Amino acid sequence: MSTHVRHLRSKIPSGVLPSLRLRRTPPLRLASAASLPTKTNAFIAGVDEAHPPPSPPADGARIRLAVKDNIAAQGLPTTCASRILTGHEVPFTATIVTQLEQRLGAELWGKTNMDEFGMGTHSTNTPYGQVSNQLEGRSAGGSSGGSAVAVGMGHATVALGTDTGGSIRMPAAYTDTVGFKPSYGMLSRWGVVPYANSLDTVGLIAKEVAPIQEIIHAVCMEHDPKDPTSLPATVRERCVSERQYYPSSRGAPPPDLQSQGLRGLTFGLPIEYNIEELSHRIKEGWMQVAEKIKEQGGRVVPVSLPSTKSALSAYYVIAPAEAASNLSKYDGIRYGKRASSASAEDSDALNGILYAKTRGEGFGPEVKRRILLGSYTLSSEAVDNYFKQAQRVRRLVRRDFDRVFRLSNPLLENEHDDGNKEQQFDLSDMDESVTLESKLGPTQIDFLLCPTAPTTPPKLSDIAKQTPFDSYMNDVFTVPASLAGLPAISIPMALPKSEEDSVDFGGVQLIGQFWDDARLLAVAGHIRSEHQ
Amino acid sequence: MSRVPTAALSKYLLQGQVSRQGCLRLTRSPQISARALALRPAIVSHYRSLHTQTTETPLSSNPAAAPGHVPLRKQLKDEAKKAKAAGKKKKKNASNQVVPGWELTVGIEIHAQLNTAKKLFSEATTSFNDESNSHVAYFDLATPGSQPHFQKETLVPALRAALALNCDVQPVSRFDRKHYFHWDQPSGYQITQYYEPFAREGRIVLQPRDGIAAEDGDGLAVRIQQVQMEQDTAKTMAQPGATHWIDFNRTGVPLIEIITRPDIHHPATAAALVRKVQILLSAVDACVSGMEAGGLRADVNVSVRRTDDPDAPLGTRTEIKNLSSFKAVEDAIIAERDRQIAVLEAGGVVEGETRGWSIGSTETRRLRGKEGEVDYRYMPDPDLLPVVIGDDLVAHLRESMGQLPDAEVDELTEVFGLTAKDALSLVALDNGARVEYFWRVVESLKSKLGTDIPENSACFQLAANWILHELGRLTSNPHDESAQDLGFTPDGECQRVPVDSLADIIVFLYQHKITAKVAKELLWVVYRGNVPEQYPSVADAIETENMWFHELSEAEYAELADQAVEGQEDIVGQFAEYKQYPQGKLMFLVGRMMRLGSEERIDPKSAESVMRRRLEEKYVPALERRAEG
Repeated sequence: MSTHVRHLRSKIPSGVLPSLRLRRTPPLRLASAASLPTKTNAFIAGVDEAHPPPSPPADGARIRLAVKDNIAAQGLPTTCASRILTGHEVPFTATIVTQLEQRLGAELWGKTNMDEFGMGTHSTNTPYGQVSNQLEGRSAGGSSGGSAVAVGMGHATVALGTDTGGSIRMPAAYTDTVGFKPSYGMLSRWGVVPYANSLDTVGLIAKEVAPIQEIIHAVCMEHDPKDPTSLPATVRERCVSERQYYPSSRGAPPPDLQSQGLRGLTFGLPIEYNIEELSHRIKEGWMQVAEKIKEQGGRVVPVSLPSTKSALSAYYVIAPAEAASNLSKYDGIRYGKRASSASAEDSDALNGILYAKTRGEGFGPEVKRRILLGSYTLSSEAVDNYFKQAQRVRRLVRRDFDRVFRLSNPLLENEHDDGNKEQQFDLSDMDESVTLESKLGPTQIDFLLCPTAPTTPPKLSDIAKQTPFDSYMNDVFTVPASLAGLPAISIPMALPKSEEDSVDFGGVQLIGQFWDDARLLAVAGHIRSEHQ
Repeated sequence: MSRVPTAALSKYLLQGQVSRQGCLRLTRSPQISARALALRPAIVSHYRSLHTQTTETPLSSNPAAAPGHVPLRKQLKDEAKKAKAAGKKKKKNASNQVVPGWELTVGIEIHAQLNTAKKLFSEATTSFNDESNSHVAYFDLATPGSQPHFQKETLVPALRAALALNCDVQPVSRFDRKHYFHWDQPSGYQITQYYEPFAREGRIVLQPRDGIAAEDGDGLAVRIQQVQMEQDTAKTMAQPGATHWIDFNRTGVPLIEIITRPDIHHPATAAALVRKVQILLSAVDACVSGMEAGGLRADVNVSVRRTDDPDAPLGTRTEIKNLSSFKAVEDAIIAERDRQIAVLEAGGVVEGETRGWSIGSTETRRLRGKEGEVDYRYMPDPDLLPVVIGDDLVAHLRESMGQLPDAEVDELTEVFGLTAKDALSLVALDNGARVEYFWRVVESLKSKLGTDIPENSACFQLAANWILHELGRLTSNPHDESAQDLGFTPDGECQRVPVDSLADIIVFLYQHKITAKVAKELLWVVYRGNVPEQYPSVADAIETENMWFHELSEAEYAELADQAVEGQEDIVGQFAEYKQYPQGKLMFLVGRMMRLGSEERIDPKSAESVMRRRLEEKYVPALERRAEG
């Protein structure tokens, strides 16, 4: 890949990319978004337009690709929007970027702004200026806010993001775009700077489902030996053999959604998702989508996911624990900018604690908060009550999903060998509003249908007043699928008109069983086209 | 900088069994001249030394001001000075195994470098003294966005070690991260096996011949709690001033950590255990090098309690880190036991803390207390899959493992008539290569003699004796710099004295075709490379140089004896009547025989027996007759 990092601001002809501001990383200018409200701050670094990649493919199917700044692309810095990695360049290119460039002729357009190391819900935790939604003054969602805005503004046709607890779906819901988090293990993480490895998933943002579908069809069978969590080829074969809508799926052709609609498909509305914090407009939009699905011949039933309430807490134990571990390497020795006041004579120890000055200056407040949180939950006094408990909750969350889906989880085949293939429900866990289909329990479903975020994108000025806990609450609908490693997609939905809130779109989320990605995309694409 | 005599160093290595140059040769890079070494002394002590744990510096303070590593020689010198100033010679620990009224309890953690081609989690090759930072993969440097790739081949030596230690190999094990900050660890954590190690519940049987304390009687079994795989850290090379160079070649090299239960109660037994582990690991080819080359390190946990109450719980323990010789293990335990007892007898309390030990010192020193302990915040590594080990692999390795040292020592003593001491030395020398060499010589002797062991056991004993002692003499000349390494290969060949040549010499000697003196000369001829450079074979050398032993006939011996006795009537007289047989006088007469005759045709033993017989049969009776007449 021959790309050239330039300070582009002066080189881009005005009018071509009106509000796109590409900047070389140093020197940083902080809090500029407030003073320049029309700037979105979506990009951190870009490719020089005067030196485009050679020989662009002629067929016009070329993808103009924006890449979140925690995904490595050789020739451009990879800073994870952290001051501690200012100017840092990873000496290789992420597998997913190479796949898109080589397989689909994608042209890398720039690196996008984000919450530092992926930690945040509004892409405001960044030294490059908080990302602003194309709707002026609104949150772009996080942590892949820059990628979502790059697509929302039309600067990129497809953007790569990472989704750890909702970091693709949330920005998609806030920017009126489609955000897809595939099954864990489908897309390679080689070259993706980890936040929480067991949750981090590379995903895609686009205006429509189709370009995402095209990419997934092209790379879904490719195992990457460089990523130990990339599903091996044999397992991919086995998973696909139990799934429909993949190019390599065998058996009878799947139902044609165009002609048959959603007949035969069952959608579950998780009753636990009807929380107090859910805005009434989002709830109304959600119910309208359910109605549309019924009109299309689909069936909609309430289901219960009893572990939902604990899922958010478990997520905020597991993710910070892994983050605290992963971020240990940024100590100013091998990685990370040494604190300016730390020199050879005056070591970077603070009150006798080595590396404290470097880490104190290099990390932003949210990253520090999660490092402290994670260090505590892994400490010998707390690990049993927090980290280990959270891992148990994570299993329960996965079991909840496995019980409601009609398809079984192909990774759990051995656990079903006891002959008890149908997972039993404990009726005492279950809400009364769930109707039982048979003596084994309620109806089993194909997809879950729920909101992506509890509200429309909040105003940046309001976010500044929020406590960290308020923004953690935003992840309540996206975190369960992350904990279970399931494919989930957020597509735009229309909201009823309102006088107090001008935003007329929200995000509705479809969650499928493991490796049901192709069918999920097909159905999401259909609903999206019918909904427009 | 003056050199510390290697003899002084060798005391600390392998109980003084190691050849005087062995340690320094192993640690010295061939490219570095002696002068360069003197200029950069710290390099020597850090070469290939295995890093097990950050000790002095990690979290607590300014690294530049922290006490740096003191070179071994300097430690020795300082200690000698201290001892001199105190006006005392170093005490022997011979009688130091027990303190009346007190029971000592010791558990040991041993870290050993595995013998593997690749690193634990990357395809970078392991290396020995290669150019710094030349074998480093992205993951070894913890490059953001890189991921670990478990090299499953590293399991083979690890499993061999576990089997040699009688452990239960676990069908599923996992890797965890152990967090602490240090510049030699680029990721900020070490990957190890904390929650689910790959092997558990082993045992090592120690016998008196292993060097245990006399108080342990006929022997004991020390239980092993677990064996785990983990990564080594980068190597730090101190430079003048506050500069440290870091070589990442060692980062990620696979180690095993062996953790024993607190089953040891005597210092000598602790040292014997570490020595035995080293012998076992090298016997099954699990490890690259032993303690003397820095491939093995031990941490010991020490506690004491009064013996009056058998139900009392164990005392508070302290940990002494990074012991690098068997002697250091024993000395450090004695010193720490005595310190704890002194504290308790003075009415004090033993603090749970980490302590250090310098070679040659008499006291352990405090490194950090509980409050300074790092909370390692163990966490399962989310990138690494569980390690699943099949029974078939374990069974295959068990079958192909060959004889363990204990069985080998038994065979050497029972079948070949070696003393236990010689058998143990043979097994321990040259990381097991010496005994391999012995077995090859045995095979060669069998084919040359055309018979099996029982008829010719004396010949095989002769071979063992020569391999242990005569070969050692070849390299013992301190003035001959060029000739200090016999060059044993792990499969038991010796570059300087090939198996076949030694077997030839021994067969000829055994069959009385050459004298012992000639045999020893021939060994030098072989060692200097004159066979095959000058003579195609040992036999050719003997032939060309006319060194075959044409022994005198019985009559010729008798004639020679007669010549020797001539004019020695006074001496002969002493054989007529004596309280104790005058052996000295006999040897005097034999010596005369050797001088009068042609020495290369005389076997001193034959000469002695002929002389003895001639005295008894001829000269003494003649003397008596004369007295009577």
